[in-house]
Amino acid sequence: MKKKVLACALLVYGLAAAGSMTIYSEQQSQVNVRDVGRLLPTMVKEVRSVQDSYELQEWMKNTSDTISIAGMQHSQGGQTMYPGAVMLDMKGYNKILHLDRKQKKITVQSGATWRDIQNAVNPYGLSVQVMQSQNIFTVGGSLSVNVHGRDITYGSLIDTVDSFRLLRADGTVINVSRSENSELFPLVIGGYGLFGVILDVSLNLADDELYQLRTAQMDYDEYSDYFNGKVKSKSDVRMHIARLSVAPDTFLKEMYATDYVLYRDQSKREKYCKLREKEDIVLPKMMLGLSRYSDWGKNTLWETQRDYFMKKDGKLQTRNNVMRSDSAFMEYENGNKTELLQEYFVPFDNYAAYVDDLRALLEKEELNLLNISVRYVGHDEDAVLSYAKDDMFALVLLINQGRSKEDIKKTEKVVRKMIDVTLAHDGSYYLPYYQYPSQEQLEEAYPRAQEFFQAKRKYDPEERFQNLFYKRYGK
Amino acid sequence: MNYKTFVTSQSIMMTASSMVFPFYLLLIRNIGDSYAQFGWAYGLFALTAALAHPVVGRLSDRVGDKWLLLLYTWGMAGMMLVVPIIENVGQLYVLQIVMGVLGAVQKTTEKTVFARQNDEAAAGKRVGKYHLWTTIWGAAAVIATGYLIDFLTIGSLFYVASFLYVVSGLVMGYGTISRSRREIIVDEGL
Repeated sequence: MKKKVLACALLVYGLAAAGSMTIYSEQQSQVNVRDVGRLLPTMVKEVRSVQDSYELQEWMKNTSDTISIAGMQHSQGGQTMYPGAVMLDMKGYNKILHLDRKQKKITVQSGATWRDIQNAVNPYGLSVQVMQSQNIFTVGGSLSVNVHGRDITYGSLIDTVDSFRLLRADGTVINVSRSENSELFPLVIGGYGLFGVILDVSLNLADDELYQLRTAQMDYDEYSDYFNGKVKSKSDVRMHIARLSVAPDTFLKEMYATDYVLYRDQSKREKYCKLREKEDIVLPKMMLGLSRYSDWGKNTLWETQRDYFMKKDGKLQTRNNVMRSDSAFMEYENGNKTELLQEYFVPFDNYAAYVDDLRALLEKEELNLLNISVRYVGHDEDAVLSYAKDDMFALVLLINQGRSKEDIKKTEKVVRKMIDVTLAHDGSYYLPYYQYPSQEQLEEAYPRAQEFFQAKRKYDPEERFQNLFYKRYGK
Repeated sequence: MNYKTFVTSQSIMMTASSMVFPFYLLLIRNIGDSYAQFGWAYGLFALTAALAHPVVGRLSDRVGDKWLLLLYTWGMAGMMLVVPIIENVGQLYVLQIVMGVLGAVQKTTEKTVFARQNDEAAAGKRVGKYHLWTTIWGAAAVIATGYLIDFLTIGSLFYVASFLYVVSGLVMGYGTISRSRREIIVDEGL
């Protein structure tokens, strides 16, 4: 009797185990990936880690899979993923290939991060020309979104790229520069991974320099004059960043700015050139946390932050150290909410009027706005999808919002209105963020959008390189 | 069931639970969207365990510890088959509730086994030895898993654990069969 029970139990167990394993292997054949905004979880066929370009090339020649390309995945509009596609994870393809100190050029594999480059060039007194304010991003990803940063002398990233190698859908590799396959140069940079896989990139470098920080506090309507008179016209001001208040007491009125001025005694650079590592983030993280939930928190954060930065006046910092600010305190893990970015560009003569209209709009609408930073981008229409139609200020907005469908709808409504205001002031918006803007808004902000999508189909007729951005706006 | 069977079975059980525990924690963290859900998943486990303890205690007086330990090992073997395939937080909560009940079964019964022994003078020694061996196996399992995980997927780790629970159950079952012959728990000189 007991033996029978035992046999039965084992049989039932065996069947259950087989069933479980079948379901498990079925589930494992797809991978759920998500970006940093966590609003577009996507089931992809496979995440394929890339380490070797020849291996990748061989694989490309023998596959008909749809492909998406991923670096750090900080884009928030699904630019790195596509349902059922193979996602190439480029992070492991990150070697520094060549550093030419005389010509001030570096060649790196596209998965290398700015941090990798900084570590390689800092000992030789060299520095990156243009990158984001943070150094965590890959070069390939940054090229694909054509970033800009605090630097005010070198333009957008596209201006600093010498050449790159591109792996196309048919498995061929071509060189792309301003003279070779030049039509692809302005398409791939700012091309969101739709034309091929960027392999190695040659970038022009700058000298690492010692800067003295100069801080100033002002009202928003004095900012354009300040920037024209004290920043743009002065050749010794190399970098600039400002903040516009989101605190209820001074909402979109108060500003403070930090200029990085070439220090008179560059021989002191070596004393400051050690690359700074992680900062203490406990306090900023707590302050940002408070500002998410209350007006009081927002006011306190603004005042503390302003006073803290104003006190930095006169301090010395090397270029490399300016270009590696910490973003760890912004990491946000709340389950029901997420934090998204928006970036709006507005010609700088229109800045004050634009901020007035934006304020009028946001005072009526409900939007949990946590931060606005302001940077400068010089007129630059090299890239087909270029955002800098003029000399512009770039406002980056950090928005806290829920992850539910209703919350997304709510934010979409406000974002579209903000973009309308931006477009009315001859501005544009940045494309790597969530798919809130309408098709019409995209085409108004990017008059060459259709040309871009047609070129995509010309160079990739089978549409092997895919992503959610192209799916949403490209057809 | 004699003392040796009991310790052997419990040690195998401990090996299984220790090897999956860290990965199970990771899984609950990943399935939930937030630390709040993580808190709920864990809280539900503790809460059901708390409520189950008195019931299990009374039940063990009526049906005997061994049957409950059998229920535990086979139950856990089944649960380990479910863990790799759950997909949402609702399923996770249900799983945590069932495991809460099973956890209460194990915790209560391992103590009632000792409480029912007559030899009061050596009780401490026996409990000490019991914990020595079960914990050593647990530790060995955790360390070994750290290496094994390079070769196994997380899913297969749960399947291995499930199989170990079955083995633990079989050892216990054998002990139960022999109990009908011997009737009393014999401390085999440990």
